Amino acid sequence: MGKEIANFIVNGNEYEVIIEPHMLLIDVLRDEMGLMGTKYACGAGDCGSCTVLIDGKPSFSCLTLAVTAKGKNILTIEGMADGTALHPIQQAFVEKGAVQCGFCTPGMVLSTKALLDENSEPTRDDVKTALAGNLCRCTGYVKIVDAVEVAAGTMREGG
Amino acid sequence: MHRVLLPFEFFEPTTIKEVVELVDGDKVRVLAGGVDLVLKMRRREILPEKVVSLQKVPGLDYVEGNGSAGLKFGALATLTQIEQSEVVMENCALLREAISKIVSVQTKTMGTAIGNLCVATPASDVAPPLYAMGARIKIVGVDAEREIPIEEFFVDAGKTALGPHEIVTEIVVPSLPSGSGGAFMKLSKTAEDIAKVNAAVMVTLADGRCEDARIALGSVAPTPIRAIGAETMMKGQKMDKKTIEEASASAAEAATPISDIRSTAEYRKEMVRILVKDALQEAAARAQA
Repeated sequence: MGKEIANFIVNGNEYEVIIEPHMLLIDVLRDEMGLMGTKYACGAGDCGSCTVLIDGKPSFSCLTLAVTAKGKNILTIEGMADGTALHPIQQAFVEKGAVQCGFCTPGMVLSTKALLDENSEPTRDDVKTALAGNLCRCTGYVKIVDAVEVAAGTMREGG
Repeated sequence: MHRVLLPFEFFEPTTIKEVVELVDGDKVRVLAGGVDLVLKMRRREILPEKVVSLQKVPGLDYVEGNGSAGLKFGALATLTQIEQSEVVMENCALLREAISKIVSVQTKTMGTAIGNLCVATPASDVAPPLYAMGARIKIVGVDAEREIPIEEFFVDAGKTALGPHEIVTEIVVPSLPSGSGGAFMKLSKTAEDIAKVNAAVMVTLADGRCEDARIALGSVAPTPIRAIGAETMMKGQKMDKKTIEEASASAAEAATPISDIRSTAEYRKEMVRILVKDALQEAAARAQA
C-alpha cells in the first residue's frame, strides 16, 4: 500500500486527503487539514500535547499512523466549540485560570472530554488519574483540576 | 528525535496467517497499538521496510475468563481494556494493580499488553505480575504454534524468543489456588516515568505457612527475573517478619542491576529489598483476607 486518497472524519466533517503510510496523524491534521490546534511537543508519548479523541478514546496523534485512523471518528480541539460558543470545558478552563501558556490546553481539554463522557461526577482523584498523561510545564495543575470540576458541574446541569 | 518517519510499505491483512507470512524480524515489523514501534521508528532505532498492522485482524481484542484455567487475553487487548475488565478484577487483581501504575491514559488506551511484552524492556510493569502468576505465551508461526512460559519468552534486553516469522497471539494466566494473594510495587522518579525497580509477588498461604511463593523483579537485570532462592527459602516457613526479611534480602542478592540515568546499581539493589519486603507483607495480608 503506497500513496492513497484517504477519507477522514474530523470533528464531524469529512476530509479527503492524499496520504502515505509513514505520515503521522498529527501532521495530517495540522499540515493537510490546517487544524493547528493539536500541538506537537515531545513526540514520544510523554506529554499528551498532541492528544485527540479517536472513536472517543484519548490517543497520541504524534504516535498514530494516519493510515490507521481512516474512517474513524476523530475529535480535535477545533471540534469542541459550537460556532463561537465555547464548550463548557473550555469555558471552565478560561474562567478558572486553567490556561497559562496554553500549549497543553488542547490535550487537557480533550482528555477531560473523554473523562466526562464516561464519568459525569468525577472526584478530584478521578480527574488527576484521567489527566495523568497530560503534562503542564507551567505546572498549573490545581487550576486545571478546579476547571474540570466546574465543567463537570455545568455539564451535569445540561450546560 | 526525528519529526517524520522514513517511508515504508504498509499492510493490513485480515488473518493471522497472512500476518506471520509477512513478518520478518526487524525488516518487517508488526504494529499493534504503535506506542513503542512508532516512537522507535521516529528515533531511527528501528527502520522497517514494511509494517504489518494487526488492527484489521478480527477477534484479537478479547480479555476473558478461561474457565477453571484462569484468564486469557489476545494480541489487541489494550492495557485499558485489561485494567477495566471485570474478569481481571476478580481473577487477576495483581495484573490490574500493575497496569494501574502505568499512569498515562493515552498509553493505556493505545498500547496493548502483548505489545508491551514484545518490546522486552526490563522495566516492563506488565511482565513481573505475569512472571509471578506463571503466565504462558502463545506464539504462532508460519507452520506451527507453540506455548512457552513467560520466563523463556524474555531472552535479553529488547530481545524475545520470537523467531523472525512468529508473533504472540495470546497470553494465558492460570487461576490461583485459594489462599493466594499478590502485590505489585513500583519505584520511579515520577509516577509517569518507567520503573527504577519494580516487584510483583504472589504467595499462597495455609494455616499461616507459606505453601508457595513467587517473586518477580523488573528493571534490575537484562530481563525481568524471578528471585528463585528467596522463593525456595520461603516455602514451608511461617509467614512472619523474619521469613519476609530473609526472603527480601535474598531477592536483593538475586538482582544484578546497572547504574543509569534513573538510578545507581547500589540503590536499585537496596530498593529491591524494600519493595519485596513491602510487597510480601501486603500479599500475605491479602492472602489471609
